[in-house]
Amino acid sequence: MSETVTLTIDGKEVTVPKGTSIIEATEILGVEIPRFCWHPGLSVAGVCRFCMVKIEGMPKLQIACNTACTEGMKVITVSDEVKDAHKWALEFHLINHPLDCPICDQAGECELQNYYMKVGRYSSQMDEDKVLKPKALDVGDNLVLDTERCILCSRCVRFEDEVTKTSSLGIFNRGDHSVIGTFPNRKVQHNYSYNIVDICPVGAFTAKDFRFKCRVWFLNETKTICPGCSTGCNVTLYEHKNQRQYYRLKPRKNLEVNGHWMCDEGRTMYEHLNATNRLAAPIMQGKHLSWNLLSKELKQKLEKVKGNAAKVALVLTPQYTNEEYENILSSLNSILGGLPNIFVWRDSKEKFDDFDGILMRGDRNANSKGLAQTLEKKSAQAIPLSGDFSPLASANAELVIVFGPEIEKAYSQFATEVSRFAEMTNVVYFGTTLNPIAKKFSLTIPTKVFAEKNGTFVNFKGIPQKLKANPLVFPAMKGIEDIFAEMKA
Amino acid sequence: MPVIKNEYQGRKPDEFRILLGLEGYPDSRNIKTYIEKSNGYKALEKVLKGGMSSEDVINTVKASGLRGRGGAGFPTGLKWSFVPKGPGEKYLITNFDEGEPGTYKDCYISEVTPHSLVEGKIIASYAIGAKKSYIYIRGEFHNEIRWCQEAIKEAYAAGYLGENIMGSGFTHHMDVYSGAGAYICGEETGLISSLEGKKGQPKLKPPFPAIKGYLGKPTVVNNVESLAVVPWIINNGPEAYKKFGTEKSPGTKLFNVSGPIAKPGCYELPLGYPLMRFINEDCGGLIGGKKLKAIIPGGSSAPALTAKECENLTLDYEAIAGAGSMLGSGAIIVIPEDVSMVSVLENLMDFYAHESCGQCTPCREGTGWLYKISKHILKGKGTKTDMDRMYSIANNMRGKTICVLSDAAADPARAIVTKFAHEFEPYLKG
Repeated sequence: MSETVTLTIDGKEVTVPKGTSIIEATEILGVEIPRFCWHPGLSVAGVCRFCMVKIEGMPKLQIACNTACTEGMKVITVSDEVKDAHKWALEFHLINHPLDCPICDQAGECELQNYYMKVGRYSSQMDEDKVLKPKALDVGDNLVLDTERCILCSRCVRFEDEVTKTSSLGIFNRGDHSVIGTFPNRKVQHNYSYNIVDICPVGAFTAKDFRFKCRVWFLNETKTICPGCSTGCNVTLYEHKNQRQYYRLKPRKNLEVNGHWMCDEGRTMYEHLNATNRLAAPIMQGKHLSWNLLSKELKQKLEKVKGNAAKVALVLTPQYTNEEYENILSSLNSILGGLPNIFVWRDSKEKFDDFDGILMRGDRNANSKGLAQTLEKKSAQAIPLSGDFSPLASANAELVIVFGPEIEKAYSQFATEVSRFAEMTNVVYFGTTLNPIAKKFSLTIPTKVFAEKNGTFVNFKGIPQKLKANPLVFPAMKGIEDIFAEMKA
Repeated sequence: MPVIKNEYQGRKPDEFRILLGLEGYPDSRNIKTYIEKSNGYKALEKVLKGGMSSEDVINTVKASGLRGRGGAGFPTGLKWSFVPKGPGEKYLITNFDEGEPGTYKDCYISEVTPHSLVEGKIIASYAIGAKKSYIYIRGEFHNEIRWCQEAIKEAYAAGYLGENIMGSGFTHHMDVYSGAGAYICGEETGLISSLEGKKGQPKLKPPFPAIKGYLGKPTVVNNVESLAVVPWIINNGPEAYKKFGTEKSPGTKLFNVSGPIAKPGCYELPLGYPLMRFINEDCGGLIGGKKLKAIIPGGSSAPALTAKECENLTLDYEAIAGAGSMLGSGAIIVIPEDVSMVSVLENLMDFYAHESCGQCTPCREGTGWLYKISKHILKGKGTKTDMDRMYSIANNMRGKTICVLSDAAADPARAIVTKFAHEFEPYLKG
């Protein structure tokens, strides 16, 4: 058992493991000490000098981020002396910071702005000219840097040094002319660059992807899981309150899964949610079919092979939820009188064991483990389809039911591979986007996207995680569970 | 009133020379001169061949009461004792950045007696168990770099550096590292960062360098003067050293005098020496018989003292701290009656705003802010509230940063705006 120490913070007793910093201890108690440079996923820099606290017996105020808790320590965060220190720390941060909040892209999420309201609210004593620094610097594929807004907290530099180990950023110059910048011939070019925007407490780093597109107060937040790979990063999905338009994904802290970060590829997972070619209604032999007639048509197809499950081929991709797999398999089992032949379609270029050392896995499917678990539970054997579709062709199925990938771009050979289904007769294809092959299928059925689903993904470690649904973009759309429930009825 | 030792009465500063004994010799930097005229490398022999353990060396230096001569005055032997015992890499680094305006004593040591630094470094390295040491020197000190390099080369040739020195089993290597020239690289953790090839910025403490320093290994950073005096202490014993100076500030110290004074220069004095006697008699007083307005006693970061405050003041750590300033590096800057303290303030703030490394917010923003206000006041564009504002800014910069550069700017500012407030009035708009 690890050693602990007990201390009081503003009179409240707390016991923490030895080595815990005061700022971490305050988090346990729910006491908020203002901070800019401290970030739980990075080393301690101690440079913003904002998290000052009084420790009984020490003559000077101390920074809470670099002071370890000791037995019997008495910490005070609410005295006039401490409040004055916070106010002055904020004054120093603001004297050369442009007051361009109305146009700053960080407005609404700016820690400087928030702390001004919480611990500042003073009239500035600064009436000298501000130091002017460069604006709108292109520092990488995804980032724009306004150095004039930067408060030199060094989070971005530490992220580059410690997390991605790419060390593209540094602090150049001295004194109040210090600026963040890239080293010569270097740019921030890696798959984790947007995290720098997240950890920047002010509007210095902005995402090219989001910059000037939307004000954050127009966005709704949904806590869900990224479908971009088998890591299952915990994310917040931001959707416009009125436009049914998705704007971005940001990571949520989960130390067991993704820590504080997510990759840039995962960030783009919102793009297909806004796709103009999303399937909105079922299609039967090239013509739209109403949702009301869909279950009738599907039921007829299944009735024809009832009692002959071996004549049915079911193709699953590892991007659906556990609940959907459960529903598909149990429904088909009961309708057909047995389980059909099951095929699992994966990207032929997939390198299952690839890992970039941070978060991203070679398995780009969100629920490989969940699918495997569900098949095992049903004692079902699946035949892999990965590049080679001959096992499916040789099955000579009378009915082929395909649950295609939601994230089609995770399948590098998607366009080629999906066309192979068109060579078969009587294909019922479930998917999210309208592709050129769709009209060749006997039935094409739209499915919900991850943002519209409640359900479970199981990540590569075997950790089950819940998705939370947003309202449907096409309100009439039925989920897999609805379609099968109607057929059973 | 401080007690002035009787033994100083009627004696000249050069009678107290410990460190600058070779001053005046034509080839003082040569190893031959050092060995023949200054008992050179006898202390090293005493340590390595005389059976002194590292503990003995540390205890001798502790007993001498030697305090670090870089400015902070931390006991040198005590600093060495913090280094963990036992195997493992350790480093000794000499702080030869010497960036404090007014200070040039370390340069003078390398000019007169660089071998005392080299010998002191070998002994100190033996004491802490370091097989490698560096002289971190300001890049623009071209001559000093050369002199140190030559001394190291001579010491290698004479067998005082390298493998198995004098058959003692102790191995030590020494190098000179030329810094890029930043005031903050004279702060020990900033210096270590620079030596590691990073931007010169101070590091958070804890961990302290004695535990986690250069390349993450236990490291001692000592000023040139602190190390250069070690051979004398080993040769003559701690009691002989303590005969100089005061009880709490034993030994001698190098003082630089600059400003409009008849005989500016570098002097070796016993600590506790009377300041005004030194200025008026040994240094020949102010040029042209001008009156003294103020003295900055320990380099530019020391708060200025008025002429009145300097009366009866002695040059030792306690007395100067008692007067509200600090002995610092011992760089005495003399300010005569016809120099405006407004312009002194502006000059100092310009320096600190330029030299702030930019890491901690109160220092990065505060030094620049103080400079801007002082510049405006000097141009006659300031107001009375600017005076209070400067004081508030300086107050809120103090004790709020990783290193003391912030204090080094704030303290002189506070001292000048309070002690010389009347001088600002003509510059203020209303």
